[in-house]
Amino acid sequence: MTSRKTAARIVLATILLGALPDFACAQMSHQHASEAACEDTVVRCASKVTPAFATDGTLWLTWMAGGQISVASSKDRGKSFSAAVQVTRDRLNLDWGPDARPKLAIDAKGDIALAFSIFRDQAFNGQVLTTRSTDGGRSFDPPKPITANNESQRFEAIGFDPAGAVFAVWLDKRNRVPAQQRGEKYDGAGLFFATSKDGGATYSDAQLVADNTCECCRLALAFDGAGHPVVVFRNIFEGGVRDHAIVTFTDLGTPGEVHRVSRDDWQIAACPHHGPSLTISREGTYHVTWYTNGKARKGLFYARSRDGGKTFSDPLPVGQPNRSPSRPQIIAGPQGLAMVWKEFDGEKTSINLMTSRDDGASWSKPAVIADTSDSSDHPLLVTDGRQAYLSWMTKADGYHFQAIEGEP
Amino acid sequence: MKRHFLATLILLAALSPALAVEAGAPKPFERGSWQELLHAHAGHPTLVHFWGVTCGPCKVELPQLGQFMKDHPDIDVVTISADLVPNLPDATRSMLDKAGLASAENWIFGDGFAERLRFEIDPAWQGDIPRTMLIARDGTITTIEGSAELADLKKWSEAQAATIR
Repeated sequence: MTSRKTAARIVLATILLGALPDFACAQMSHQHASEAACEDTVVRCASKVTPAFATDGTLWLTWMAGGQISVASSKDRGKSFSAAVQVTRDRLNLDWGPDARPKLAIDAKGDIALAFSIFRDQAFNGQVLTTRSTDGGRSFDPPKPITANNESQRFEAIGFDPAGAVFAVWLDKRNRVPAQQRGEKYDGAGLFFATSKDGGATYSDAQLVADNTCECCRLALAFDGAGHPVVVFRNIFEGGVRDHAIVTFTDLGTPGEVHRVSRDDWQIAACPHHGPSLTISREGTYHVTWYTNGKARKGLFYARSRDGGKTFSDPLPVGQPNRSPSRPQIIAGPQGLAMVWKEFDGEKTSINLMTSRDDGASWSKPAVIADTSDSSDHPLLVTDGRQAYLSWMTKADGYHFQAIEGEP
Repeated sequence: MKRHFLATLILLAALSPALAVEAGAPKPFERGSWQELLHAHAGHPTLVHFWGVTCGPCKVELPQLGQFMKDHPDIDVVTISADLVPNLPDATRSMLDKAGLASAENWIFGDGFAERLRFEIDPAWQGDIPRTMLIARDGTITTIEGSAELADLKKWSEAQAATIR
């Protein structure tokens, strides 16, 4: 009896000692180390929140919190939300990279396609998973890989084209293996795409748009007036220059020619973790914002193209250079263009807004529309066709969803 | 009771190597850590390398840096894992070990408000990694964006050796 008791005490001591370092880490993460305010799956604990409007005006959010992906909807433009529906069940290692986030798109029938990335293994190889809901977001199919290939994939973007097909584009390392087998160096990742004609239940085989593009920045996806996908991505040009490029598809399955957005001359063998934003206005003008630290220019920039992305205007600097401007987003709303970005003054992160009512020819003075004094997600913009809104998740102040009020 | 006490002692002795390894884990890099680090290395040529476990180019560069440290014992080598989400001390340590950097001075971002940490180091830095800062004996900082060329590091360390009084 005595010896059994002793054994039990030893086991207890082992558990306590073994648990101590983990416990210390967990405590630390609650206080400082985490980007999130808490570790539950509710939106208040989210590190990344992505909005999308359905054609009926319902606002949908998907977010990453407590190691799970969830969704909820709002019928009153973000004032109140439905009960959350958890999309994932398994404990997955969700891609927490600075430019990663779950995305969703809603078709005219109200069916939802959703995509996100996970780290598939200990080496942080990524995998893009997709799912869909055909019951108005009440339930989701079990998430499954977008492609059978098992090389690293990340930074997916998805959207429905006007005919109701899902278009998905992502960065994919599959061409690294054959290149290395040939004894060749392989830089970056391939830009791949696939389409789904059944609302995201199954996707076509992956096809290459461009190889050796930058492997660690989000992609920007929009549809032009004819419903063709347009993608902006950080490319790797000759000499390891990571400047932005654009491609307009001639139809859902055929990428057109790749053009250069600007010559920033950012030669860097690194992960900038800082992707572009694209919107296409009613006039058919492409509007792009991006970050660079090139020889030609440094900071955030805006340019527009009125010839379908073949040529762009001279880059316009955005934000105050001494305030570390970052994470630019642009949207064409019913009242014109809105552009937001982050600035940081050493203590607070602010969200700054500029608007344009002449299709990007001139812009309002920047105005601060929100701020926070702890970590925050990227500011995102979304429109229901009547109004543009800022969507911004913050650790200290929770989730913001606010209307962009015309010219400040 | 005596047996119980003895068993606990044996258990503690058996666990101590594990605890010692734990003590070698990367230190959390928080507000003020950058000034602390600069102060601690003042007057010594120091290489500070920013990297992250998910960064492709970092995986290639890290073992080169391990070799550099071995070849240049006169340079203080500091690594800072600057991925935005921490809580990956195990993955961080495993990569440092494999790269021969276990004995370097290793840190890991320990504050979710990474913008503020980066701002303290360099207000112009937006978080791209890898990134290397070479701090000379006189405090002059040279920043290398992206993967550093080993030849440049060697050249700098030779220049540092030449400044020894």
